[in-house]
Amino acid sequence: MTNNPPSSFNNMLIIAMFELRKFLFNTRGIIALVAFGLVWGVLLLYPIQSASAMLLQPNVKDVIDSLFGANTLNVLFEWPVAEMAVFWCFALYLFPLFSILIAADQFSSDKTRGTLRFLTLRTSRDSLLFGRFLGQILIQGLLILLTIIATVALALSRDSQLFLPALTSGALVGLNLIIVILPYTAVMTLLSLYARTARQAMVFATILWTVISIAIMVLGSQSNVLAQLQWILPGAQLSDMLNTNGLNSLVYAPIPLIQTAAALLLGRMYMQRSSL
Amino acid sequence: MSLIQCQGLSKLYGSKKALNDVNFSLEAGAPIALVGPNGAGKTTLFSLLCGYMSPSAGTITLLGEAPNSPKLLGKIAALPQDAVLDPNLTIVSQLSFFARLQGMGVEQARQEAIRVLTLVDLADVAEQKPPSLSHGMSKRVSIAQTLIGSPELVLLDEPTAGLDPANAKKVRELVKALSPTTTFMISSHNLDELEKLCDQVLYLDKGQLSQAVSMHASTDSDYLTLTMQTCDSEVLQAEVAKLAGVVNVSSKQSKVFIIQLATDAEKAQNSDIEMRLFTLFNQHQWQYKMLLKGRTLEETLFS
Repeated sequence: MTNNPPSSFNNMLIIAMFELRKFLFNTRGIIALVAFGLVWGVLLLYPIQSASAMLLQPNVKDVIDSLFGANTLNVLFEWPVAEMAVFWCFALYLFPLFSILIAADQFSSDKTRGTLRFLTLRTSRDSLLFGRFLGQILIQGLLILLTIIATVALALSRDSQLFLPALTSGALVGLNLIIVILPYTAVMTLLSLYARTARQAMVFATILWTVISIAIMVLGSQSNVLAQLQWILPGAQLSDMLNTNGLNSLVYAPIPLIQTAAALLLGRMYMQRSSL
Repeated sequence: MSLIQCQGLSKLYGSKKALNDVNFSLEAGAPIALVGPNGAGKTTLFSLLCGYMSPSAGTITLLGEAPNSPKLLGKIAALPQDAVLDPNLTIVSQLSFFARLQGMGVEQARQEAIRVLTLVDLADVAEQKPPSLSHGMSKRVSIAQTLIGSPELVLLDEPTAGLDPANAKKVRELVKALSPTTTFMISSHNLDELEKLCDQVLYLDKGQLSQAVSMHASTDSDYLTLTMQTCDSEVLQAEVAKLAGVVNVSSKQSKVFIIQLATDAEKAQNSDIEMRLFTLFNQHQWQYKMLLKGRTLEETLFS
């Protein structure tokens, strides 16, 4: 049978779509999706809805300013859709956590049971690495999209005039969240190449974030120059991003994008050299 | 262009040499056997050929390309030892995915998955997940995936280990049937099986290529392997040795005799050796079980 193997790029897309399909049509994936839906359902119906109602109260801004300082969370009150502002606060910290959980098994199980050996004779290691990374971004992108749609629906249930601002705001939040999760997913790509199980990859992630955070804190106390090392750790910009809105949040995009490129480069080097 | 060429190939695991300066060149054609005791380096050699790992020294070319070359994608397939499919996905979805990576469209890939499963008599389990299969069935599914897209070279590491005799026979028949278009390289401990399938035999021992023999080499026509049912072994050895054209008769197993015949110039005397043997059996009322031209692989490698 004469079939020209597709280019690495095409195979990367085939692998990414297969990862998405694997997640959506697999019992484990469906369970994860249901659990995710329940968590976000509860978050949207209770904390987000009630916090949004609070944000609309004129005296709440004064309370927040007095609690956290005048310029700490003031931008939250400038959001055109209150529900999206509260969603932003939750999503900014929750999606990176989901990312670590969801993307922990990109390679570890397949490598341990030898499944990768069936693939590397059919596609390049590059397309496998980038395809699986892209697949994880598609999965998380889908989850982000679903939660944003739910938040828009929540806002519209309060005030149907908010359709356009909610949609614009939701699109920008979605874009920002995808950029935020990129380095987390890329680091998990790297760790899952090294780990033997998804659980081990998550343990490595915990150790990595804890040890590097402590090291940076210690080094930062020694000198201001060393304190800049904080930017190597994915999520370093999150606390600054919290008090931003819309396009202004994109100012921080270069940090996760550079971190992602660095983690993927390391992953590629490891993938090319490692025995399967 | 050689199918496989290895020069000065070595692989170290720490200080242990799994392969030590292995050199060989193989042409496309009849199946090739890779034989050797446990730990001889067979799986390491397969892993190096597949590009799963890099050699510590030496070079490998497959169809003129280095392992892992993009030009080899889809042209080489392998049944790696102990590798299993994803337990969470159906067999047909995984095999279709492999076919898609080899350049087939969605529908063509599904048909190809069913085709290769049919070749190993497992089309009816296409929609099942790997954990629901027995060990033998899993092995056959793994063999099926090697046949996707009819690759030029298929490396099978212990393909019949764990299979029942009927299914092992089916795998042998499949290899034989596909041999005209695909070259198979098979590692196995079952010498009888390899003897039935293969022409060229590589014997690895302690990481070194100690022998590379052809089962149909001219030297093998200088031997007969005789298996008797009833006979007086000592008398038979003495009587056969007296026959014209017989150089030596040896026996390492009970009632199995290796008869070495005179070579070249004296070959004319051997032309009716079989007839003279049958006459001898008749005279002594001995029953023979099998008379084989040449030697068994076991005899060839270990004599």
